[in-house]
Amino acid sequence: MAEYTLQAEPPLAGTKMEIAGVRLWAPADLALVSLALPLGREDAADRAIKSAYGVDLPEIGRSVLAEDDTRLIRLAPDLAFALFTHATPDAGRVVAQRLNDALYTTDQTDVWVALALSGPDARRALERICPIDLHPQVFGLGHAARTVMEHLGVLILRTGEDDYLLLSASSSAKSFLHAVEVSLHNIA
Amino acid sequence: MIIHHPLLGPRDAAEFVYLGDAALIDRPDWQAENAAEAFHAYGYLRDNPAGVHQELWYHEQGDRSWLVVTRNTVNHEISRVELARDVARARGRGR
Repeated sequence: MAEYTLQAEPPLAGTKMEIAGVRLWAPADLALVSLALPLGREDAADRAIKSAYGVDLPEIGRSVLAEDDTRLIRLAPDLAFALFTHATPDAGRVVAQRLNDALYTTDQTDVWVALALSGPDARRALERICPIDLHPQVFGLGHAARTVMEHLGVLILRTGEDDYLLLSASSSAKSFLHAVEVSLHNIA
Repeated sequence: MIIHHPLLGPRDAAEFVYLGDAALIDRPDWQAENAAEAFHAYGYLRDNPAGVHQELWYHEQGDRSWLVVTRNTVNHEISRVELARDVARARGRGR
């Protein structure tokens, strides 16, 4: 019988371009794990985060970079995401162990896809498709928001002065890339 | 229309899904004597006010929270937005 070797292929792997002076690429090996704070045990969950990552769980709509470059994103009173670079398909287990099971964790790596934008005009392209206010005085460094762009649910993060990270569903990855690409062409 | 989410700030109404009258929070007691009548009213009977109305909205394209939005059906002015969870707790729910 023939020998098969299967290789993981993230939906937008290899995406890398520059349009209107803005770099657009799909970061490789990003892992995403959701963290749910158990009802009535929020304090223990906060302590577990602090001891595992050395930082406090941020406020809702904010993210924080931990010492090991894991980005903790707070989305709701009882929900956060941990976003980090991790090449092997065991991110969920790694995070759960690190947090001593003090939070409910779900590995979401394969259902999301990420696009990074970088450049002084990145915001000009994004504000055409993003309904929330991205003005630097409103959407500051580290801010995070779940919203919709061209009908697709998107989690947008401001990771630097002119740097953004967008996360959307992997099932509509190509439509998502198309929406961002078209918006970049429209400002070119 | 902009809905001022109590945790997330101003959000476009397109991110939300409308459910209906916030009276749906008050589910009748299924063991009460008049349970059949109470559930008939709960399921089918709605006030249709021209004016201030409390309604449930779901932030589906956002943080997935349920909100109680107080809206004037005549001019669409939104006077109050609360988390449905807080409203239910204020009405004596445990969780």
